Amino acid sequence: MLSDEEHRRLRRKAAVRTNLTAFAFLAPALAFLLLFLAWPVASLFIQSFHAGGVMSPAKFVGLENWRRTFLDPLVVKSIRNTLLYSLMAIPTVFAIAMALALSLNSIKVGQNIFRTIIYFPTLQPILIAALMFTFVLHQDFGILNIIMRAIVGEPVNFLGNASLALPTIAMVEVWKGVGFWTLLFLAGLQGLPRDLYHAAELDGAGPLRRFFQMTLPLLKPTFFFSFVFATIVNLQIFDSVFILTDGGPAHSTVTTTWYIYRSLFTFNEPGFGATLSFVLVVLVLLLTAIQTYMFRERR
Amino acid sequence: MTDLTRRRFMQHGSAVALSAAGLAAGLSARTALASGHVSGDITMIKGPHSADEARFEAMIIDDFKAVEPGVNVTFTTYDWANMNAELTTGFASGNPSDVLYLVDLIYPNYAQQGALHDMTALVGAEDWSSERAQIPEFAWDLARLDGGTWGVPVLGAVYNIYVNKDLLSAAGVLDTWNRSYADMMDAARKTTSDGVYGFSVRARTGDFAFWDWLPYVHNAGADLLSEDWSECGLRGAEDATQFLIDMHQAGVTPPIGAMSTQEQFDLFKAGKIAIHHGETPQIAALMADPPAFEWDVAYAPPGETAQTVMGNFGILSIAEASPNKEAAWEFIKHWASGPQVGRFAEQVNLQVVREDIVDGMFDGNPAMQKIQQEFVPRVVGIQPHPQILKILQSIWPVAEQAYRGEFTGQETIDQMCDIINQIIA
Repeated sequence: MLSDEEHRRLRRKAAVRTNLTAFAFLAPALAFLLLFLAWPVASLFIQSFHAGGVMSPAKFVGLENWRRTFLDPLVVKSIRNTLLYSLMAIPTVFAIAMALALSLNSIKVGQNIFRTIIYFPTLQPILIAALMFTFVLHQDFGILNIIMRAIVGEPVNFLGNASLALPTIAMVEVWKGVGFWTLLFLAGLQGLPRDLYHAAELDGAGPLRRFFQMTLPLLKPTFFFSFVFATIVNLQIFDSVFILTDGGPAHSTVTTTWYIYRSLFTFNEPGFGATLSFVLVVLVLLLTAIQTYMFRERR
Repeated sequence: MTDLTRRRFMQHGSAVALSAAGLAAGLSARTALASGHVSGDITMIKGPHSADEARFEAMIIDDFKAVEPGVNVTFTTYDWANMNAELTTGFASGNPSDVLYLVDLIYPNYAQQGALHDMTALVGAEDWSSERAQIPEFAWDLARLDGGTWGVPVLGAVYNIYVNKDLLSAAGVLDTWNRSYADMMDAARKTTSDGVYGFSVRARTGDFAFWDWLPYVHNAGADLLSEDWSECGLRGAEDATQFLIDMHQAGVTPPIGAMSTQEQFDLFKAGKIAIHHGETPQIAALMADPPAFEWDVAYAPPGETAQTVMGNFGILSIAEASPNKEAAWEFIKHWASGPQVGRFAEQVNLQVVREDIVDGMFDGNPAMQKIQQEFVPRVVGIQPHPQILKILQSIWPVAEQAYRGEFTGQETIDQMCDIINQIIA
């Protein structure tokens, strides 16, 4: 018979062994996280208190970069544009994708063909998509402007008009992203229990009622992932801005990531760029936390 | 601190002397370079001045190989629009190109960051003094900053105006359009009709639109920075800026921001623009595929204090991190020699800074001869402040808004000065 002391010792030993095994399995992932996430974020934070550091030795400048960040009107504008763009692009792409997913879900024949067609724009590299849209939107010979001329008589300066440029970029991104979100929502829809729908139908629930009272609530986990993922991706909008407008006209499409790029690579201000990057990281974390909280509350 | 003034450029212009003898001198200089005492691999990076850049560079490299068989030169290009990103990445990697062609807009920042090799001793060497003397002092001033010399000046680019003489003639303004800004406006109005624009100027930051605005600023006796670079120097350019705003508001230009540099030029080539701000390399396109109208090169009408032309310059620098600076310097000497730089300038329609080869250049190209001999002496260049690119890219969106009628000339300059003073503070 083992003594109490012996029991405790064996329990501790078993606990240690279990913990060590767990840590051993977690170690690769932890190392990866530390190396590629924690360390870069920490470096970024440290860099935000320095000037130089890329081509010349880093020089400690205290809170200067942070002071500039809060005083620079272009920072405020870039954050506002980024949020505005996200507010335009995310709900629009979700609404269109959901409509397409519902339509695809009800198609019995040839669904794969339609899926492929809808997903096709997502496969295009953004460079190709953006260049294609420069021809679609061109004031003189763009197909969209040919249509606009036929309807309203005047061409529209989509990318050259300061109030239209950002919505136009959102339109391009929606076109490119709609295939991905459609298939994601379609997968969600196809995973819903059929029995519930049959029962609801037997109880006399119409299509609209079934959609709002069953489909949407049941898709909440899909929506949670979608909102968080879309927010993270869209807050980092850069490539289409860079290719289509380069932040213009008159800074109307300047986004945070574009300004980070300019600060780092054009103006050779790595400290300021790092500070902006950190602001963006905080913004993304904040919005993700809010979304997580909101979705958890309602579950 | 260096600053290119109109006076210095005038001096350069008056100093531009012949000759066929210059070319011959250059050739003998090239022979003198045939030392064959260096070896190794070096790389050169440059923005393309032509679609045939690689072929033209290969000619220079082949000639170099004949005099320095032990050196292998690999040529690569950067994209003008993203030159900073590409060059910065190269410098940050610790393995940048050994030889870099840098424009006055960007090299000061790299020099300040310690990325470039101070070439003061190299260019001051006795055995290169005869070659050095062919490059005028104003050009050397452009390559100097904070007591160092950061490259050898080789090429200049002039931003000129193209005119469709048929359109101007039909409107009866061929001889009067550039007497004054008012005449220019009158000509633009008279030549504008359905599908034809009287005037075009770049408006977008990404198209380096500020090059087209700066001659009007210089004509007013202003510049981006004050003479000592301590504050904004744009005071005095309010009326000139207002003139360009009025041009855009008068409905004589293509829609603002709707067309890139190339699209505007294509429109000019198609006979749809009467007075067009462009660049000299476009002359090659006009000569290769002549448009169905008579054209000429010109510069903006006189302003309150001067009648200038905008230009910027390129220097050949050595990266501080280059492990083979000796071979890099030999290659730069070869590239900058009269026959090499002269042939390249003719191939891509750019201006040279060497004084000894000017007169023998651009035979059969009257537009380029006119540019080199009449325009170059009027050039006022950029102030090579380390923050000059940031200044230009930061203030230009204000001008874009102004062209759209959102600000007056006075408000535009006020806002630009606020931005400039904030940056240089």
